[in-house]
Amino acid sequence: MTNFRIAGKGRVNRSRQIRFTFDGVDYAGCEGDTLASALLANGVHLVGRSFKYHRPRGVLTAGSEEPNALVGTDRGNGRSEPNTRATVLEVFDGLKTESQNRWPSLTRDIGAVNDALSMLFSAGFYYKTFMWPKSFWDKVYEPVIRNAAGLGKAPTAPDPDTYASRFAHCDVLVVGGGAAGLAAALEAGRSGASVILCDEQAELGGSLLSEPAAEINGQLAWDWLEDANAALAAMPNVTVLPRTTAIGYYHQNFVGLCQRLTDHLAIVPEGAPRERMWKLRAKQVVLAQGAIEKPLVFAGNDRPGVMLAGAARTYLNRYGVKVGNRVVVVTTHDSAWHAAFDLAQAGVEVAAIVDVRGTVPSQLAAAADALRIRTLIGWTVTGTKGRLRVSSVRVNPVTNGGKVGAAETIACDALLMSGGWTPSVHLFSHTQGSLTWNEDGQMFLPGRGMEECRLAGAGKGRFGLKAAFEDGAAAGAAAAADAGFGAEPAVYHVEGELSFTGVTGRELPTDRDPGHAKAFVDFQNDVMAKDIRLAVREGFKSIEHIKRYTTTGMATDQGKTSNINGLAVASDALKRPIPAVGLTTFRPPYTPTSFGTFAGYNKGALFEVTRKTPIDAWAEENGAAFEPVSLWRRAWYFPQVGEDMHAAVARECKAVRSSLGIFDASTLGKIEIVGPDAAEFMNRMYTNAWTKLAPGRCRYGLLLGEDGFIRDDGVIGRLAHDRFHVTTSTGGAARVLNMMEDYLQTEWPDLKVWLTSTTEQWSVIALQGPNARKLIEPFVEGIDLSEGAFPHMAVATGKICGVPTRLFRVSFTGELGFEINVPARYGRAVWERLFEAGQRFGITPYGTETMHVLRAEKGYIIVGQDTDGTLTPDDAGLGWAIGKTKPDFVGKRSLSRPDMLAKDRKQLVGLLTTDPKTVLEEGAQIVLDPNQPVPMKMVGHVTSSYWSAELGRSIALAVIQGGRSLQGQTVHVPMPDTVHAATITGMVFVDPENTRLSA
Amino acid sequence: MLLANHPLLGKTITGDQTSKLTIRVAEDVARFSLRIDPASAPSAGTAFGAPLPTRIGGMVETGGRTALQLGPDEWVLTAPVGESDGIADAFAALQDPHSLVDVGHREVGILVEGEAAALALRSAIAFDVEAMAVGTGCRTIFDKAQIVLIREDKNRFRIEVWRSFADHVWGILQAVSREIALGI
Repeated sequence: MTNFRIAGKGRVNRSRQIRFTFDGVDYAGCEGDTLASALLANGVHLVGRSFKYHRPRGVLTAGSEEPNALVGTDRGNGRSEPNTRATVLEVFDGLKTESQNRWPSLTRDIGAVNDALSMLFSAGFYYKTFMWPKSFWDKVYEPVIRNAAGLGKAPTAPDPDTYASRFAHCDVLVVGGGAAGLAAALEAGRSGASVILCDEQAELGGSLLSEPAAEINGQLAWDWLEDANAALAAMPNVTVLPRTTAIGYYHQNFVGLCQRLTDHLAIVPEGAPRERMWKLRAKQVVLAQGAIEKPLVFAGNDRPGVMLAGAARTYLNRYGVKVGNRVVVVTTHDSAWHAAFDLAQAGVEVAAIVDVRGTVPSQLAAAADALRIRTLIGWTVTGTKGRLRVSSVRVNPVTNGGKVGAAETIACDALLMSGGWTPSVHLFSHTQGSLTWNEDGQMFLPGRGMEECRLAGAGKGRFGLKAAFEDGAAAGAAAAADAGFGAEPAVYHVEGELSFTGVTGRELPTDRDPGHAKAFVDFQNDVMAKDIRLAVREGFKSIEHIKRYTTTGMATDQGKTSNINGLAVASDALKRPIPAVGLTTFRPPYTPTSFGTFAGYNKGALFEVTRKTPIDAWAEENGAAFEPVSLWRRAWYFPQVGEDMHAAVARECKAVRSSLGIFDASTLGKIEIVGPDAAEFMNRMYTNAWTKLAPGRCRYGLLLGEDGFIRDDGVIGRLAHDRFHVTTSTGGAARVLNMMEDYLQTEWPDLKVWLTSTTEQWSVIALQGPNARKLIEPFVEGIDLSEGAFPHMAVATGKICGVPTRLFRVSFTGELGFEINVPARYGRAVWERLFEAGQRFGITPYGTETMHVLRAEKGYIIVGQDTDGTLTPDDAGLGWAIGKTKPDFVGKRSLSRPDMLAKDRKQLVGLLTTDPKTVLEEGAQIVLDPNQPVPMKMVGHVTSSYWSAELGRSIALAVIQGGRSLQGQTVHVPMPDTVHAATITGMVFVDPENTRLSA
Repeated sequence: MLLANHPLLGKTITGDQTSKLTIRVAEDVARFSLRIDPASAPSAGTAFGAPLPTRIGGMVETGGRTALQLGPDEWVLTAPVGESDGIADAFAALQDPHSLVDVGHREVGILVEGEAAALALRSAIAFDVEAMAVGTGCRTIFDKAQIVLIREDKNRFRIEVWRSFADHVWGILQAVSREIALGI
């Protein structure tokens, strides 16, 4: 295996060898390597196939902007991830990686036929091709396109990792740990402000890591960096977060940071989270994100071995890796010359520097001469060759008049390019800060900001180390001052600066037909310059439209290397200046971020709160099946051995009707309404009249919205003149309390009444059945349970089993019933005591399903099931619950609107199917005439439907237009297989005289 | 009296060996939600047998009885369990209009102690916990659960949470303690 490491160069730890695999081949790297640097050290440039044309691709960059080198990773134990950027992935022992978008292998890929056919796949290809025939879209085109689309393979197994999150507040957040960011953090840190400094890389330094020869204040760059790290570590008010990407910048200086905690470790500690999302609120933010180098646009600029000059310099200086043995540089910017110089000094043959500009700074030309590097000033590159790796480059002179002369071919195994640098303004752009076009620098720079935010260094177009340090220090000091801390920015002396002038343009001039040039603008989405020109010819004028038509800049890299080149080509084609063409909007996240990081702790058991009652554990121990009801999990039914749900529910129903059932009603919402104006408040909120309800008595309460539609209901007990115990539906508890508070605070602040949620103060045990009284009598103290003293709809306080109780005589089953409220911590003990004593009555625990059947047999509605937000009290057959003489209540005025009084409103009725064995589907539509042509006129739908063991037949509730006047008539319920006939009835199916309530 | 069934009963999360963080269930207390016009706070204080704080977030502890002001007209009163009936009786005699509701069983107390206590809480609480003054409390959100957070000391916090949300809060604290023990 070839070794491209150069002795004495780089800062990776060569004494610590790392073994990893790529496409099944074992490789060695060093501690500190990224996958890209380790592969390049082994002479591997070809790492993937492109998205659309399956063209062989190599490593383009050395950072998070990488569009090409996306690999699949396997970190063991089911931890796999597609599309990881090889340029940021740190290697560790045992890492397995593979190339993507190729079959059967990276070097021989069938999909590469797309490249040969590329003339067919021009911009807008899908829109143009798959229009016809229309019927083909669903069955042929879309499935095929979906199969072919996408890089990498999404993991199929659930993610085994856990994720963390953390909120933080600080005076100054510095994003980016390069020269500018370090200077800013040092300044703000010295001022005493609390500082967080984050950087996406494993170590701080940014471009300093690639500039070992620069001297800062008389120190070599890496010595200075070591001291700076130590200084920051010594400040307790500074938190340094490496491997942490600022992914999004939101309102009021809220910044999301994604911190990678364990991806780089060969052995991950048990229970350690993979990533952490920091949700950070900073008083001041300094963005020091640096700049991203632009590729040049010319035919064959995407071949493996063609890479950015700055990246090659980083691989050499930081990782000690030469990217080739014979290198050509092509550039429109000074900085690429330094890559040539560094490589030449490291012993790499630099065959030529091709500079498209007519003139270059004389000191660069002189330096090249000194290193005996051939320079071709005013030349262009018009093509490259090499199937899986560049093998030669075609260069031509360009005359002053722009005429391209005869070509010369230069052999090389790496071609380094630079089209200048683009300030990284993504986060600033997230804040809706405006960007202004800088004509001299051919770049967008931050304009007016919307947040307490400043930029520093190359990120705002201040190139060069001295500028970065001084700008960073000034920004850090200013940010600290704005946060209330005094600071005087330090002065920096820098030696060994790079030269930073250059020009930016469209495609490089060529002597060939540009309409056939495979000159790539967007590497990740395979968009070529000619695609953008085609879009313009077809009438697209705005970059927003061109982007969507060609997909340039729409890949996961958000066009970090391609946006400005794309704009330059579009601007040239449109003959309009770049700012007139526009810039697309950057959106969070800055770089691809795992879903797990966004979810944080909320996965598995912590995905969502699962509320459990004090009796829940007993239900679990006794084999209950559970169902979710809002955030609660409730016992659904209690199957015995061999029983299915149907059998269990039939048995439970029978037990309640014939003897005794016990039910956990603890989830019912409870609100205590207390104060001298409690009854007045109740009068205004609920439809019913409350003034005359005596203490010790209960009433069914109906709550409407301002629109007159039913919102909630529940039994309400009056405990004292000034105290009500309100119950609500399980799911409605919080909603009802909020609604009441809203009215109390905004409409009636004069009322002396207060609301307190007591849902969780009480465990509620419902005992229902003819033997209910007999069971509890011996356990109750202080309450006379006789029919006369404690009738249906009574409430009293006393003791049960020795603990305090609020005892309600209520029934949601139609049977004699009690709801025993005890302080929550005693719920389970009282339940167990009653369950044990109830054995002589065959006491049967029942769940929500049986509760639903029993209440439906009595025609008691469930808000949200039998109502849907469009039912008035009268629609639901609850007109009796309206206090007719009350001056007002919430929703009263709406009830007199003409359409609320219409005769053909949907009304709740009972339904009995002609075939008693048929249980209708809830939600099924109802028609009057099953023989009418489709689409039929639907007059209503089934809201509740059950098998009634008591009646030995099915029952249902339904809303039907004018239903109450259609009693006895037959309606029809069309289903896919058949049409069911049913008769409209009253809503009460069992014991219409309510004799059992007082049994 | 029957056996009380306490959520999280006897549970403790011990942090790392250096005891930067310990999380345990607090002992039972009597709790009341008191709503009253702030003008009547002095007479309510007399009924409670301990003065009420007069600043939102303020907390006053007198002889084992604690009053924490949560809103303009809202206080939460805590006391040893055995004093519950006495407090209810005293307020029953208070003439000023008010609402005293027993919420002793509604909530569970969780104590988060140690050098890393604030750090642990920051995993699920959005406001600046580090900046919270000692001896204050407030209602806030912990992940998806409403809680009352009290800073009893620099390194000791108390969470009061409705009992059915306690498992969720506990589960997150458990995950967080693991991170803190690992030092990541």
